[in-house]
Amino acid sequence: MTPAKRFVRRLILGLLPLALLPVAAAHADQLDSVRKKGELVCGVLGTDEPNSFVDPKTRTIIGYEVDLCQAIAKRIGVKLTIKQLAVAARIPELQQGRVDLLAAALTHTREREAVIDFSLTTFVTGQRVMVRRDSGITQIAQLAGKKVVTVRGGTQEPNMRRAVPTVEVVTFETAPQALVALQQRKAVGFVNDEVSLLDAYGKLGPAQKDFVVLEQNISTEALALGLRKNEPAFKRIVDDTLRELEKRGEAERLFMQWYGPSSRLKYEKRHFRIETDKLPT
Amino acid sequence: MIELIDNYWLYFLVGQYPAGPLGGLALTLILGVAALALALPLGLVLGLARASNLRMFRWPVGALVFIVRGTPLLMVIFWAYFFLPAVTGHETSQFTTMLAALVLFNGAYLAEIVRAGIQGIPPGQTECARALGLSYRQAMFAVILPQALRNMLPSLVGQLVTTLKETSLGYIIGLSEVSFIASQINAQVITQPAEVYSILALTYFALCFGLSRAGRALEKRLSGRTSGVVPTPAAEAA
Amino acid sequence: MPFDVSIVLTGEFGRWMLQGFLLSIELTLITLALAFPLATVVALCRLSPNALLRGAGYAFVEGIRNVPLLVHFLFWYFGAPQLLPEGARNWLYEHDAEAVCAVVALTLYTAAFMAEDVRSGIRSIPAPQLEAARALGFGYLASMRLIVVPQAVRVTVPPLISQTLSLWKNTSIATVIGTAELMYQAQRVETASFRGAETFAATTLAYLVVSILITSIGELYQRRFPVRAT
Repeated sequence: MTPAKRFVRRLILGLLPLALLPVAAAHADQLDSVRKKGELVCGVLGTDEPNSFVDPKTRTIIGYEVDLCQAIAKRIGVKLTIKQLAVAARIPELQQGRVDLLAAALTHTREREAVIDFSLTTFVTGQRVMVRRDSGITQIAQLAGKKVVTVRGGTQEPNMRRAVPTVEVVTFETAPQALVALQQRKAVGFVNDEVSLLDAYGKLGPAQKDFVVLEQNISTEALALGLRKNEPAFKRIVDDTLRELEKRGEAERLFMQWYGPSSRLKYEKRHFRIETDKLPT
Repeated sequence: MIELIDNYWLYFLVGQYPAGPLGGLALTLILGVAALALALPLGLVLGLARASNLRMFRWPVGALVFIVRGTPLLMVIFWAYFFLPAVTGHETSQFTTMLAALVLFNGAYLAEIVRAGIQGIPPGQTECARALGLSYRQAMFAVILPQALRNMLPSLVGQLVTTLKETSLGYIIGLSEVSFIASQINAQVITQPAEVYSILALTYFALCFGLSRAGRALEKRLSGRTSGVVPTPAAEAA
Repeated sequence: MPFDVSIVLTGEFGRWMLQGFLLSIELTLITLALAFPLATVVALCRLSPNALLRGAGYAFVEGIRNVPLLVHFLFWYFGAPQLLPEGARNWLYEHDAEAVCAVVALTLYTAAFMAEDVRSGIRSIPAPQLEAARALGFGYLASMRLIVVPQAVRVTVPPLISQTLSLWKNTSIATVIGTAELMYQAQRVETASFRGAETFAATTLAYLVVSILITSIGELYQRRFPVRAT
């Protein structure tokens, strides 16, 4: 190659990155702004053991989802800040930029795909119903015409109504508040996702003999971390962190730590893997 | 009951602090006082506009005050919660949201108190001040407002009590003020709901009743000395 | 997404909003019907020559007014029913406990405030009226009923209308105990439709319309029945 040709080639290669500059500068990348802030703000529920809940001894928020956030924050190289959210406020808070990431028992649904993005599915569960044993209810269908309670702002109410169209649903601000209503006999059933339900059941202690969690699922839910739309770099680093946790076996260890035999929930084994962010068709 | 108080008194008083954000009764007090302190300048501006001779100020402000007073506070809170970040371009915490909603809401109510306070000063005061050569603004700030503010004091104490009660609505947006904390405690303990909520009620009662008494004592002392004391309004929002 | 308020006013969402609106109105009317008589009783207690009744009235008013309405709701729904005997409790839970407890809380709260207005109204009638009635041989209750209260009504109605306005706005707080009034339904519609602006605009308008109605009734009354100088 002649010196002239070499020069022209180098010039073009050197100037090429400048062509990308306008594209990069036009949109403040979330990953960059997180790095600049030095902190990752993670929205959690804080009332949803063992995903995120207040440790009564230290009064800090801990849990399975908190640990996932911790891993992501470490990978990005910033500190983790936890923000407690109400169920109904999760998506609005993410959309308005008040949190960077949602780790709040968020179900991946097609309707939600229109407004936010999801990470790889971090948990697969269903929603079930806990009833009073003395109500004599053993099947979901028997809830027809009866009253159940659940938390406001999630998928519990619509799923319940889809499963049993004539059921009466009353919602409260937080799941614990709804559970209080069940225990006070204000309703015959309490709807929540499987994990929260089993955890609440475990916490009942001696009162467990009065309640039973019905076998049937009223829905199957893929839970994932919630991300803002159009942030490819941020989504990539979140998914990469999750994929690596899965590869190293760390993801399974976390599951066993919070959900396994030594926990209140006593899952024998994990029946999913963290590998995809697509919904089953 | 003793065991209940023994286990949870710290959580009830300060929430998760220092292991987390401040909550509980401490948060309720700070929020209430801050809201009233910030609502007062707003109420002043709105009240001056309402008492103004210029229709240009009176009517739009009158409309704003009318709308805010015809809407439940909870509605104002939801507006603030969902749309404040879009308007200001900043993230807003539950505390800030609640503060903004309370300042706007109470500012509108204070506008009326301020207006009544200003109009309660005998016109002779304004006339004298103008006769002595003071401009409208100087007359207002040096002569009228100081007297009006002193007359408004008992009403302001009443408004503080109202504001402290209003902070309880932070429960609905998940702010860890004392009512939210009490519900968390109840959800953990389960077997003593009447006790938990009675203690919560008693706490508010002690706080608000104490302040009301102080306000009434203040009113008595002031009406002994000057005229034009603004009576504490009986109509209230929750 | 462009602003389109018809989404929350038609179809299923519209139906939910309407149900909520109607329940809010029901709560207001029922509470009004119960609170006013209660308020009058309490006011008469506070004005009674009997010190025990006076104290009871005072305790009622101060005890209730100094506690936020939210706490009243939580207490009457989550706290008090647990103290009932099991039969009464189960009956309550079968019969729309959320609305019943909401009415109880609202009635007591509103009555405490109204009692003060009624008391002021009665006190505004000069003492000679009552004295003359007693001198003519009427008992305390009869004097009140036939002479003092009818005159007091004109003075009392405007503040009571103001309390009704507060009551209408206060029904929104019943959402915390699961009462399916307008605010509860608005939250439900917002979650299902992702349309916060439209939902809240419609809800705000609904509250304002009734607020304006109540205020207008008050102004009409004051124009038709101005307080006579005595």
